[in-house]
Amino acid sequence: MPFLLKLLPSKPVFAHCDIPCGIYDPHTAQLASQTVLKMVQKMKALPKDDIHSLIRMVSVKEDHAELCKREILILWTDYFKSEHLEKFPDLHELVWKACKLCSDNKRAVDEVKAQELVEAVDKIADIFNETSRL
Amino acid sequence: MKPPVSKFKVYGNSMLPTLKPGQEVLTFNWGKVKVGDVVVVKSAKLKVQSEIIKRVQKIIDNKVYLVGDNKTESTDSRHFGPVDQSQITGKVLYYFHDATAAR
Repeated sequence: MPFLLKLLPSKPVFAHCDIPCGIYDPHTAQLASQTVLKMVQKMKALPKDDIHSLIRMVSVKEDHAELCKREILILWTDYFKSEHLEKFPDLHELVWKACKLCSDNKRAVDEVKAQELVEAVDKIADIFNETSRL
Repeated sequence: MKPPVSKFKVYGNSMLPTLKPGQEVLTFNWGKVKVGDVVVVKSAKLKVQSEIIKRVQKIIDNKVYLVGDNKTESTDSRHFGPVDQSQITGKVLYYFHDATAAR
């Protein structure tokens, strides 16, 4: 009997979930952006011949710039809703610029850009905190 | 008229650990459902066009309250409210245990 049933064609049925985990926090993005800034500052203070530390710091900086972008995008795509955008109309622009800053910081060693990234992520976190209180 | 049985393949995590993604089930479509049954439902209330699979938590009058076994990862009556009993396609009669069902 089970063998014959196996021959039956099956239709898809969804054990579905519209909502991802529902847990969001901008803190990871903030930590990542601050790590990028810290790495840039440490690299600049490093003795020229300390290649080993330099390579490690480059690696940490790039990983955290990437992580920061990913965390911002999770908030953007999964957490923020249209009603948040009505209240904060520059949100899309802010997210877009922050993501571009992540890419810039992954590529370059630039303290000004790193500082801009920290500020941009803090602004997104402020909007998050404001909207999550609503 | 509905066929007496249908076969479905499960997509999604909301019925874990009872049903794994990729697992197939056979439903009986002519009987009445009771609390505790795993049912396949097609409702206009749902965002997804296809049928969904959940467990019956309670039945009040003609309304069925559905909840996924994996409560932290399920959209169900806690979000879209109870559904009409008439919208139930069938209840699970047989679980296929296939070693290839993927998590």
